[in-house]
Amino acid sequence: MIGTALVLFAIACLLPAGYMLVAGLETGVQRSAAAAFLLDARQRELLTNSALLGTGTALISSAVGVPLGLALARIPLPWKPGLRLALAAPALLPPYIVGLAWIYVGGTRGPLAAVAGRELLSDWTYSLPGAVIVLSLVFYPLSMLATEVAVRRIEGRLEEAALLVAAPGRVVRRISLPLAAPGILAAALITFVLAVSEFGVPGLLRVRVFTTEVFTAFAALYDFGRAAQLTLPLLLLSLAVAGSAGALAGERLLTTPRGAGSRPVSLHSWRVPAVAGVLLVIAVTLLCPLIVLGLEARQVPSMREVFAGSSGAIANSLTLGATGATAVVALAVWIGYARARARPRIGRIVDGLLVVLFALPSTIVGVGLIGLWNRPGPIGAIYGTHLMVLLGYLARLVPVAALLLAAAVRHIPVSQEEAASVSGAGWLRTMWCVVFPQMRLGLGAAWVVVFVLACGELGTTILVAPPGEATLPIRIYTIIANTPSSHVAALALLQAGVIFAPLAILGLAVSPRVTR
Amino acid sequence: MSAAFLQVAGVTKSFGRQRALDRMSLEIADGEAVAILGPSGCGKTTLLRLVAGLDVPDEGGIVLGGREVARAGRNLVPPHERLIGFVFQDLALWPHLTVRGNLTFVLGSVGVARAAWDARVRGVLELVRIGALADRYPHQLSGGEQQRAALARALVGQPRLLLLDEPFSSLDPELRLVLRGELVALRQTLALTTVYVTHDPEDVRAVADRVVRMQAGRIDAVPADGSHSSHSED
Repeated sequence: MIGTALVLFAIACLLPAGYMLVAGLETGVQRSAAAAFLLDARQRELLTNSALLGTGTALISSAVGVPLGLALARIPLPWKPGLRLALAAPALLPPYIVGLAWIYVGGTRGPLAAVAGRELLSDWTYSLPGAVIVLSLVFYPLSMLATEVAVRRIEGRLEEAALLVAAPGRVVRRISLPLAAPGILAAALITFVLAVSEFGVPGLLRVRVFTTEVFTAFAALYDFGRAAQLTLPLLLLSLAVAGSAGALAGERLLTTPRGAGSRPVSLHSWRVPAVAGVLLVIAVTLLCPLIVLGLEARQVPSMREVFAGSSGAIANSLTLGATGATAVVALAVWIGYARARARPRIGRIVDGLLVVLFALPSTIVGVGLIGLWNRPGPIGAIYGTHLMVLLGYLARLVPVAALLLAAAVRHIPVSQEEAASVSGAGWLRTMWCVVFPQMRLGLGAAWVVVFVLACGELGTTILVAPPGEATLPIRIYTIIANTPSSHVAALALLQAGVIFAPLAILGLAVSPRVTR
Repeated sequence: MSAAFLQVAGVTKSFGRQRALDRMSLEIADGEAVAILGPSGCGKTTLLRLVAGLDVPDEGGIVLGGREVARAGRNLVPPHERLIGFVFQDLALWPHLTVRGNLTFVLGSVGVARAAWDARVRGVLELVRIGALADRYPHQLSGGEQQRAALARALVGQPRLLLLDEPFSSLDPELRLVLRGELVALRQTLALTTVYVTHDPEDVRAVADRVVRMQAGRIDAVPADGSHSSHSED
């Protein structure tokens, strides 16, 4: 079973990336060997913009996320599970939805202009700094959660030993944060790659980066060679940075051990400012975008008309999202299991690979899938069908689901499987009766996360969707230019609802089990 | 016996339904070395943690150097103001800092002037015989060297009270013997009030002036006259 899963994983996830790597190198060699590696002026501009976008987003996300993660780990906040969920929620909003809110907030009729009497952000709206801010609002939860996990992992005795001689603030600065630094740095690197790989926000805010150029070269200019060539620097950058992040994070991706019997530093006295800070961040990153979209959508003459015009896209999003999530989890559970039970050294390599695959730019995955499947013969029968969208979801989301499920498997002691085995149960029976029942929550959570990410996926889907067919993100993205903003905002709100409804259900299912 | 330096008065501490300490009382004189002996789970470590301020007693109180530091439900003096050196069972050396870094963190925290750091670090490392290892990280040290580094860290801030929680439990017998001897020599040099938790009677014989035996969160037996050098485990 695991062998079959690994073959499917290779076909779905590794082949598109490998195809683009080879295609990029071949095109480079054909056009000019030097061009593949030494960038021309236009590519240098793209690289500079991409690097600034990634670096700026990583820095701001860390500046916001690290204090929040520290607060969640070490400050006894009230309603902590709820606050954590609200703080993490922006990460599941498709970035272009926050981008839309950003455009509306600074626009001529936006709330800022209404309050100030003039446009305050007009110069920033369509700009690189604007894209950095929008992506930081979306990606800071990654840094926050990584910091919380890293700080919780710290052996409590190390902080106790420091508390004997130093005040809590000094202990946090000198002991806790340096010990958590590898996890924090890994999150910053992953944020960098995700920002560099992002397509929707730079496209929306008219910032020229590699991902938008790949899309333009392929979808507008029909120049596969140029798209493949542009892929190479971005692919190598993603491989290097995400690989480093995977290596830095190591076992931290899966485990959160804590020393028994010790009591780590607890920053009671920081409670009031921490609560104020947390509420401010929730207001800015979650409530503001939704309120701004709501204000914009109020001007729609008829909601029914808006939804009726996009009913096909809505239905596609829901059915493809649900089917995709099921397919992704069905494959990822075996990959995750194999990862969890692998030897540590192999496990670390697999982690790095999964992080790299998750961080691959979505447009590159899309072009890679087209290159692989758009060919004559039986293979080509898939091309031009909804199966291509499902393949896109598999390629993009199996890695992250496998990481989530590997963490769930790690909580089940190997001895339980050994006990089933010596009791006469075969491997499949052991998996079905012993392992999977204990992973129910993990499987459910992975399904919801994948469904949410699939419903918001844009960069790959927009390239591989069958002609004339659209998902909700494609619909929103393609009507922005020629449809009233109120109409677009209404659809964006609907998209947010599609994402938050299953999350709320998951939150209700999980909350009774959350003890800290 | 001189006036009590450490007084633990009727202290109770529970974790959930489990009572770790049950109305325990104990007095330790200034400069005295007391070994607390008892089986695993009898509350020895909990007692040290309460004295250090890492946990709060449910009932009773603790007086250190004439100052009440804890009473039922709250710590009156935070751990870092109690001037205590603590050697944890698992040593808890900070892995991202060198031996020197581990020591200077303490010196910076207790307010020693930076100009005096080098001399203090050198002096205490010589005392525990790892003077040449100041720039090594904990993972670059052997088990015995780590033990010495942890002891150096506990001593460098010139604490009023030294707490040792089974510091030699993870060492092989030969190394235990060597370090036990060195600890005795150190005690004689520093004349420091010491509480030494162990379940090994051999440690007791070598290290302590007095033995307190614990069982199920209470003192099981104290020498009748309360005198020093009462090695009742012999």
